[in-house]
Amino acid sequence: MKVLVPVKRVIDYNVKVRVRADGSGVDLANVKMSMNPFDEIAVEEAIRLKEKGTATEVVAVSIGVRQAQETLRTALAMGADRAILVLASEDVHQDIEPLAVAKILAGIVKEESPGLVLCGKQAIDNDMNATGQMLAALLGWAQATFASELKVEGEEATVTREVDGGLQAIKVKMPAVVTVDLRMNEPRYASLPNIMKAKKKPLEEKTPGDYGVDVTPRLRVVKTTEPASRKAGVMAKSVDELVDMLKGAGVV
Amino acid sequence: MYLNETHLQVREMARDFADGVVRPIAEALDRDERFPGEIFEQMAELGLFGVGVPEEMGGPGFDSLTYALVMEELSRGYASIADQCGLVELISTLLVRHGTDEQRALLPSILGMRTKVAYCITEPEAGTDVSGIRTTAVRDGSGWILNGGKVWIHNAPVADLAFVLARTDKDKGHRGMSIFIVDLHAKGVERGPKEHKMGQRASQVGALNFSDVHVPADMLLGEEGRGFHMMMSVLDKGRVGIAALAVGIGQAGLEAAVDYAATRKQFSKPIADFQGVQWLLADMAKDIEAARLLVHSAAMKIDAGQDATKACSMAKCFAGDMAVARTADAVQVFGGSGYIRGFEVERLYRDAKICQIYEGTNQIQRMIIARELLAKGARV
Repeated sequence: MKVLVPVKRVIDYNVKVRVRADGSGVDLANVKMSMNPFDEIAVEEAIRLKEKGTATEVVAVSIGVRQAQETLRTALAMGADRAILVLASEDVHQDIEPLAVAKILAGIVKEESPGLVLCGKQAIDNDMNATGQMLAALLGWAQATFASELKVEGEEATVTREVDGGLQAIKVKMPAVVTVDLRMNEPRYASLPNIMKAKKKPLEEKTPGDYGVDVTPRLRVVKTTEPASRKAGVMAKSVDELVDMLKGAGVV
Repeated sequence: MYLNETHLQVREMARDFADGVVRPIAEALDRDERFPGEIFEQMAELGLFGVGVPEEMGGPGFDSLTYALVMEELSRGYASIADQCGLVELISTLLVRHGTDEQRALLPSILGMRTKVAYCITEPEAGTDVSGIRTTAVRDGSGWILNGGKVWIHNAPVADLAFVLARTDKDKGHRGMSIFIVDLHAKGVERGPKEHKMGQRASQVGALNFSDVHVPADMLLGEEGRGFHMMMSVLDKGRVGIAALAVGIGQAGLEAAVDYAATRKQFSKPIADFQGVQWLLADMAKDIEAARLLVHSAAMKIDAGQDATKACSMAKCFAGDMAVARTADAVQVFGGSGYIRGFEVERLYRDAKICQIYEGTNQIQRMIIARELLAKGARV
């Protein structure tokens, strides 16, 4: 079984985010970018499936600017076998919207015929949480979202999902789209020998046109603003005063 | 930027590893003076030992610049962790350059940390002046008989295999020394007690004594009489490694100092608002960056096959002095807290000091720099 893993290049989770002066979005010029952490978990899971013998090949794909090949090299260094880069933009500030991404992925699925698409449940930049679901709909495949455990058994997969207040186990027919949650695994560090080997692994370049997809944005960002800064607190001089304050606020 | 995508990828991986695995337990390792075998095993799995060993010999086959990046990042986590990486790099470079096929067969086990190594040069009467060594190896039928004592040997309490510089001809000075690969579990090997050091306290250091230790003939490294030259041939890379380690210590101090200055309040405002503190931070940052660039420049000279002796000595000397001076500044930013055990900067200041001493004292580095200048001229 071939596993397709879409990975997105996003602003690194450690970076202090700044809003662009014109309010059109977050400033991405000259900031550290990394693989979306949920996608990293998906790559890790795909490699584990290969190590267990369930998967035969892991193909990573990224859609965006040319620099996304760094993200793909990371996936290759972790253990993916080959990569596909779909050059969809030259502007680091242009986000490719979920529907366009899902359509391109559907095109790649038709070419590659994987038995499973494993993706992050959402990207940490815009938190859309839509691509996996849209892809399943476009393909007419089963979908299992927010997975914390995945067991593939022949024509079926058992997926444990993280839902409010607990875990839910569902069975889905293969082929399927599975979107992974935070607790599925802990991604490995890429070893130095594997970083070296990754340089020699194939990285194919494509364009949205190859799949007949137009990535022109359909959504318009009206405004982006910084979160309101926290207001200064009040110091209570005694426990009694604190209790009065809490009562006044209706907390106790 | 001269760092390519692969350099950046390796640096990021080493940085993540240092942040996630090393730095959180550095204080405990320092306190307990413990050999962190479990971290070394993880590092071995990640290919962080023998960074420059070619792929066909079982290593990842990276350049010296990559090695320097790895050393800085590991040291930013904890210098003792980086120092083990530096030791293995030195030993494996010796094997790659001078080993027979049988000797090189030791590499996978050394890189995998299944065989722990020691590099034995220093003796009680021979520190900086290596020509004064008294350890001898005498031919004896099927091999050699080794006698003598070595001190301040990194890994001595735990090592399985030692690379020992010994005199094989007392009349030939520098040309009368050879390197032997010695099984430390052999008869006649005695280990001294573990030394209790000022800094880098997780690095296990002690003495090794050899009394009539039999060394098989095929465990002579390279040619007889070439030991000193082989040792010198790997020093450039060794110095780049230690220089990078010093930069890592300085960088850790800077990060700690910047964070602390932004949060510590005096006179109703963060101390970072005071120019006196700002100047400390700025001086730290500029010297760390200068040292880093010297390290990278020296590493790139090695990789380009250029004469790197002066560059490596300048990098090691400057970075070692910088690490001591700038971690002292980090302590100063922390004030009284910086003098207390358990605060990272207190440890960093202690860890930095040895960088002016080992891998050739900074006085020797200055002699080398001056000698190079006077022999080859000052023009660049």
